[in-house]
Parts: sequence; C-alpha cells; structure tokens
Amino acid sequence: MSILATKDTHVVIQGGVAGVNAARRMGEFRHMIRRPLNVSAFVYPPDAGKTNEVVCGNQLVAIPVYKTVAEATVNHPEINTSLVYVGADRAYAGANEALDAPNVNVVSMITEGLPEKDAKLLGKRARQLGKIFNGPSSIGVMSAGECRLGVIGGAFDNLVACKLYRPGSFGVITKSGGLSNEIIWICSQFADGITTAIGIGGDAYPGTDYVSYLEMFENDPQTKAVVIVGEMGGDLEERAAEWYGAKKRRITLLAVVSGFCQESLPKGMKFGHAGAKEGLKGEGSARAKSEALKKAGAIVPDTFGALGPAIKDAYEALLKSGEVKPIPELSDAERPRLPRTVEQGMKDGDVLVTPLIKSTISDDRGDEPLYEGYPASELINNGYDIPHVIGLLWDKRLIGRQEAEIIRRIIILSADHGPCVSGALTTIIAACAGIGLSQAVAAGLIMIGPRFGGAVTDAGRYFKFAVDNGMSVDEFLAHMKKNVGPVPGIGHRVKSLRNPDKRVKELVRYVKSLDVPMPHLDFALEVEKVTAAKKDNLILNVDGTMAAVLVDIGFPVDSLNGFFLLARTIGLIGHWTDQKRQGSRLIRLFNYLVSYAAPSRREVPPLK
Amino acid sequence: MAKVLEGPGMGLLKKWGVQTPNYAVVSSFDEFEQLAQANDWLKNGTLVVKAHEALGSRFKLGLVKVGLDLSGAKTAVKEILGRKIETLTIGQVIVSEAVDHTDEYYAAIKSTRDGADIMVANCGGIEVESNWDRVKRLSVDVGESPAADDLQGLAKDAGFSGDLVNGVAAFAQKLFRCFENEDAQYLEINPLVQNAAGELVALDAVTLLDGDAKFRHPDWNFSFAAEFGRAYTRKEEEIMAVDAKVKGSVKLIEISGGDTAMLPAGGGASVYYSDAVVARGGKLANYAEYSGDPPDWAVEALTDKICSLPGIKNIIVGGAIANFTDVKKTFGGIINAFRRAKTDGKLNGVRIWVRRGGPNEKEGLAAMKALKDEGFDIEVFDRHTPLTDIVDMALVR
Repeated sequence: MSILATKDTHVVIQGGVAGVNAARRMGEFRHMIRRPLNVSAFVYPPDAGKTNEVVCGNQLVAIPVYKTVAEATVNHPEINTSLVYVGADRAYAGANEALDAPNVNVVSMITEGLPEKDAKLLGKRARQLGKIFNGPSSIGVMSAGECRLGVIGGAFDNLVACKLYRPGSFGVITKSGGLSNEIIWICSQFADGITTAIGIGGDAYPGTDYVSYLEMFENDPQTKAVVIVGEMGGDLEERAAEWYGAKKRRITLLAVVSGFCQESLPKGMKFGHAGAKEGLKGEGSARAKSEALKKAGAIVPDTFGALGPAIKDAYEALLKSGEVKPIPELSDAERPRLPRTVEQGMKDGDVLVTPLIKSTISDDRGDEPLYEGYPASELINNGYDIPHVIGLLWDKRLIGRQEAEIIRRIIILSADHGPCVSGALTTIIAACAGIGLSQAVAAGLIMIGPRFGGAVTDAGRYFKFAVDNGMSVDEFLAHMKKNVGPVPGIGHRVKSLRNPDKRVKELVRYVKSLDVPMPHLDFALEVEKVTAAKKDNLILNVDGTMAAVLVDIGFPVDSLNGFFLLARTIGLIGHWTDQKRQGSRLIRLFNYLVSYAAPSRREVPPLK
Repeated sequence: MAKVLEGPGMGLLKKWGVQTPNYAVVSSFDEFEQLAQANDWLKNGTLVVKAHEALGSRFKLGLVKVGLDLSGAKTAVKEILGRKIETLTIGQVIVSEAVDHTDEYYAAIKSTRDGADIMVANCGGIEVESNWDRVKRLSVDVGESPAADDLQGLAKDAGFSGDLVNGVAAFAQKLFRCFENEDAQYLEINPLVQNAAGELVALDAVTLLDGDAKFRHPDWNFSFAAEFGRAYTRKEEEIMAVDAKVKGSVKLIEISGGDTAMLPAGGGASVYYSDAVVARGGKLANYAEYSGDPPDWAVEALTDKICSLPGIKNIIVGGAIANFTDVKKTFGGIINAFRRAKTDGKLNGVRIWVRRGGPNEKEGLAAMKALKDEGFDIEVFDRHTPLTDIVDMALVR
C-alpha cells in the first residue's frame, strides 16, 4: 500500500518540455515495476492535437496532447491526478482547471515562484472540494513499487539503488526536493526503504501540510514510521507535533528541522526556501520546532547526519516487535535494468547489425569530416583546394597540381552561359514564380541532359571506346552512325567553325601547353576535323572537350557529367539570387511566342 | 518576500487611498533645491530627512533628522547624501512633512496560511512593542474581504471610540485593499496618527511584497531592497543577475568574518550544511545554493565569487542526491572556476570538501577527484558518506 500516488493513479501532465521530461522519468519507473505507462495525456495548448512520444521500457508510447484538462479527462476518464509543470504566471489557472475536473483528486505542482496568494487560493479550493493540492515547488510523489509522480527519485540507477521497485515501511515528507531523494536513499540503506515519499514544496504556504499526510500514513497499514524533514519558518512542523502528541499514534515519527544556523547569523539575515522565514518574534525557529516535535514524542536527532542511525534504530525496533519482516534482497541479476540501446549493445560488443548502406569516401563520426581519410581542416591548412576535394570524393584519389588546375579552369569556363539556355531560363522562371532556391536550382539542373550540358559522360564514353579500341576516325564515325546516332560532344546550336566557341579554344590551348599526352583530346580534335568539314557547326563543343580532357586526366566516365552539373550550379544560384534581388514578377509567355496549331473552336458532341 | 523602501511603499499606499504625509525622494542636492522651490510644504512645513536605503538602525547611524525647517533640511540632505556606511554609499534621501499629532496608533496586515490578519492597536510608535497584548486582530480568509461591521468591531475591540471607530475601520479597509491588490505579504503602519483635520495618516510604513507576483504588476517599477539590514554586495548583485537569467537557481549571501565557504546544492540541503558548520563551531563565510539543474556557466560564476571570499580555509561543495540536476555538468562549471582560482592563487591553503549524488554522479565525482592530481587539496565523497559528514571532517581538523 501507499498513499497519494498508487497503482491506480492515472496522470495528465500540464506543461511542455519539462512535463515531457517528467513523463520520461515516470516511464523509467513504470518499466522498473513492469507496468504500462500511467501518463494518459498532456495538456499544452501550443501542441494541442499532436502527440508526445514517451519511452516506457522498450516501447515508444504516443501520448496525446490536449488544449484543456477538461478535454483530456473526457477522452481519458481514468485520469485522477494532474501534474502541473507550467510557468508561475499561468500555473494558477492551470491548477484550477485541473481542480475543476470531477475525476481529478490530486493536483501536484512543481512550478516554483508561484505567488503566495495563488497558492493559498488553490489550497483553499482543493480543501473545499475534498481534493489534494500538493505544492507548489513540489518535486513530486514517489510510492515504491507503485507510482512515481514527477521527477522525484532522480535517475534510473538511483531508483534501483534505493530499492524503489518494492515498498518498504517508511513514509517520507519533506519540503526540499533534493532532501526527499536523500531520505529515500537513507531509508533504503538504514532500513527497508519507503512506502511513499512526498515533496510538499518549500514555499511559505504549501497547499497540503504535514498533518494531512501524517493522517493518511497513519491509515496506511504498510507504513510503520514517517520521516519529516522540516525547515524553520511557518508553523507546519508545530502542527505536525501537535497532531502527533494529541493521542497515541500507530506510526513512529522521526523528524529533523533545519535552520539552527539562523541563531548565529547577523540579525535579519535569512536564507533557504521561500518559506524558511522566522516570525517576527522568533516563532517558527528551528529550535522551537525541534522542541515541539520532541515534546510530542517524535524522535528528533540533533543533526541531519544522525538521522540515518535514528532510522536504523527505529527499523530495528520494528523488526524486534515483529511489525515488519526483513525483505529479502534481490540478487544483482534480478535487479531491474533499463533496456539497452542498440548503440550501447554494439559498444559492449554483443549486438551485430547488418549495415543498410556502405560508404567508401567519407566519414562524419569524428569531430570533423574525413574525405577519403583526410581531415577537411588539414587539407585546407596544407593548401589543397576544391578540385582536390573533387578528386577525393569523385575518384578517391589525391590529384596533383596540374590536374587540379585543369579542373579549376573547367569549372570557371562552365559556371554560366547566360540566361537564355534551358537550365538558367528554367531557374529564372521558377524564381519569378516565387519558388525557393533549392527547388528553383533543382529545376534548372533537371534540364541538364542529352541536349544541354549532359553529354559529357556520353562523349567521354565513346571517345574512350574509340581510343581503347585503337579506332580510326572513320571507323569511329561509322560505328557511331550504325549503333548510336549523332556523336555526343560534337555540334553546337549557334557556334561553328566561323564562330568558334572561345571556351573550347581556351581549354584546348591550355591543355596542349602542358606537354603531356592527351590521346582522347587529340582523337576528339581529329573527329572534329572530319565532322566540321561535312557541316560547319559540327564542331567539338564544350561538353566534348571537357569529356576528352577529363578522361585524359583519369576521371571515370560516370563522373564526367558531374563537372558540368557542379559548375553550372554556381550559375543557377546566381540567376536565382539575381531575380530575387530585382524582386522580379511572375513570367507568362506571350501568345505571339506560341504557334497555336491546335484545332480551332468546334461543337462538343453529346456524351455517348 | 521582497522589501520595498519607504518611498515606493508610500506610493503604493497612496494609490489605494491611504493618506500619507507629503514626501519626496531625492538623489541630489540640486534636485532637492528645485523641489523646494516648487512645493509649499517644503517651504513652510516641519520636515523629516531620512536616508532612503536598505539600512537598519538609521537613527543610531545619524541618518534620520527630525523637526527641521527648510534650511535645516537642506543641511541634512547635504550631510546624508553620499555618506558611506561600510560598503554602501547613500544615494537617496526621503524628505517628508511632519504631521502634528497627539496620539499614535498602529495598524498592520500580515499574510497567514489561511489568508491575512488585520491588526490594530490604539497605541503606536515604540509603545506598541511593549504592549503587544493591546494589538487586536481580525482574520480574513484568502479570497475574501473584511466586512465593515467586523472592522468596526475590531476597532472597538482595540479600544477606539467615537469617530475613530469608523475612521480606523475605514483606514483598515483601504489598507486591506492595498494589501490584497498589491500582493503584499506584510504592511505595517506605525505610527498611524490623526492630523489636525482629523484624518488618519500613515506616518511610517513597512512594506513587504510578494516578489513572485511581479509579473502581474507592471507598475512595480522600483527595485526590491535587501531584507537583512544592509545593501546587497556587488558579488550578491552579480549572482542575482545570473539567477534572473537562468533555468534553476543560483544564490549567494556574503557573511563577513567567516572562514568556511559554502557551495552546496539545493535550497533544503544548503541550510542543513550551514547548520552543520554552526553546530561544529565553524564560522560561515557565506550562504550559497544552486539547484534546478542550472547551466554550468551559472554554477561557474557562483564558484568564482565563492573562491574570492576573503580569508576562507574550507570550501564545502555539498549536496544531497539530486533528482534531476546533472552532477557532471554542474561540477564541470565548479571545476572550471576552481582551476582559475588556483591559477590566481586564491586557493592557497584552502581545503575543498565534496559530497554529492544524482544523475551522472560517477563522472562528476571522478572529475572532482582528478583535481587531486592537479595539486588541489580536495577530498571527494559519494552518496555513501552521510550528507554533512564532510563538514565534520573539515572542521574537526
């Protein structure tokens, strides 16, 4: 048994990220005690209609988010408890909403800095309704083996270390969140652990005081003793003392009170929780509270450190009287564990995973990417440039200066060719239609194909085929005519022998000046001589030239179109930003640019 | 609780119809001279000049001058402004008009668990403190207002008679409105006096507001004063500025003359640590606390201040087993500041004592332990060592 939070508790969490985090902690607890998640819903207006995913065991549970507590409780009639995780300025309204819900009997608030008046009003309303308003500033409620409300108890390892997977015999009530956890630990080490631990919050006027909970513990047969961790200020400890001393109680009461240091501090200096404020005439001092508790018959050790041994003594007395039986300890193997992640399993070497993809060029797992094993920053610092990165990522090799210079020139020469070509025009039309950068550039890139910029790979393939097979130009042209069609890389829409392509001339001039063998380029130029003689514009075009040169410097045929793609992307991005800068408007083709060759208007026949 | 100085406190009373004497808060002599030219009450009235700072025993320090005419007030303003009291320089004075009166009364409202207590007495000033039994109280439930009949009954009960019964009841009603609407926690009018026209005037007021309610009072344009009879120190103000910025909290109060520096986690545990120091006969050099998983840099800033406290011999890095404060991360901040302090020679002869548990405790404690290899005088304990044992170890030596 336990109080306040039990195996029948079903929770709505009011709040955003912090609430989801609490749910995660609650999921860990539920996994430990092998029960399904007891969070039924969230209330967080900004995310209403969505779901929050909460891990419970090895399941990812989708918990719906609602706009109001009323909506949540109508959809999940099992909800009887609300955890309030919203900011101080909205917490009052939030908690009231929860108190309004007929089935919600417990509202626990972690919010700190709630105005005092709001806390008092909520406490009063809850009492009128016969409900519990716990907090504000409450770390939550922990019932060993049954239910965790909020983040109380900390990390999973701590839950297990404190044996919270099964009930003990000690109840705990604290103002401080951190100390609740400390006492849970002490109870598990010096005694048999806890039944329920409650953080009531350190504010001046918590919604529920020690007495209400002492009464509940008194009526819970599993709880044999209760530990109170008090603080100076207010009169809650005195009331607890009064309750305990009023008549013979079943439970043993142990208590400590903090704030003795106050006696030797400079006058008027106060610190600790908001509620830790001595009265004007010394009432509510740590000493007065300790005395009151002692007088009522509670066990009150002089220091916090002496609390452990005092708990031990109380436990041993309970054992002796036969009121409690020793609980057998779980062996290490029996102790609950969190499911491991695949990552952890792999780290530990006992999970084998078949990879989905394989990459042979780069690795991002370190603090910076490695290209073919070389750290990007070191390439930069050693004077390498973009063409070298292309070499590494496209052909898995570190190219030399000369090759890099050729690639650099190819990129510069093909970066753009004005707004009229299919790629740029498409990007411009897209930009004018308000399409974003990546889509508009992609639209332009889609135009790259056999008739525009995309002949590099094919040109390279056939020139290489000819050279590899030692073909003469005539043999090659015959082969192409029979099996392929027009020679890729030959021919231009506007350029011709009389109007040569300056880019081709420039590239050929440079490559020739290097005095290295360029068999494919030589072959391509021979081909041009024959084709251009037949027809003026059947010249070696820029695709063909690039192709021959790139094959000559060893790039694989399949990568060749990439050089044009890469280079032209520079131009396409330029065209998009250019239109954007001008604030260009939507383009529509003029009628007069269309030859309307469709049938003229006619009767629609009746549908048969 | 947040204390409000007299000026803004009087402002709030006036806002709710409570009569106060004429007053002005001035921060320079020139300002006072200008005001004197503009206001007849300053020219013709009998004046009181007081330092307008969070200081206790202002009378004793000679920071209150009474029964002055304008030229006397000018001398007093000049004398008090700019005076140095320990670390504080007096930057403001409040000049108010004395009110002729014969009898002094007392009225106060105090927040209680169930609502508020309205208290009145037909004696005032220092007399009330020795006649506490003459203070009569009326409890009002939270969310409710006192009935006129009940207030009149209270006034009669306190020994008021004649017109004063209605007068005091009406005054208490206004005071309650102020209390209720301004999220006050304590309002005390002492003395409450009757002026020549027979009206009740709040001559002096103590105003404590609920600082947590600031979000719904856009007109609270004043800053809160330190409650412990001295102004905040620079270190305290800097940590308050950090605290206001971060999730969770970091807090610091300096205590002069101490040699045991405190750097514990948790609003509850921190006080038990302080108790342990006092119980062992140690002298606290400060109070500090961090909680609610604050960012590492905030804890680092707090640690910086603590390492700079003068004359410290031990630093107690205590803490319970945290629920959700990440031990590794927060200790990371502390370690950064420790290293800096050590380089700056601030930790010579200082022993550091650590005890902590919570999320990532293993890594956090290991990192602390590793400081030993860097030449720190540090002892590190985990959850198996009881909470305040490190204080015993530190002070027994």
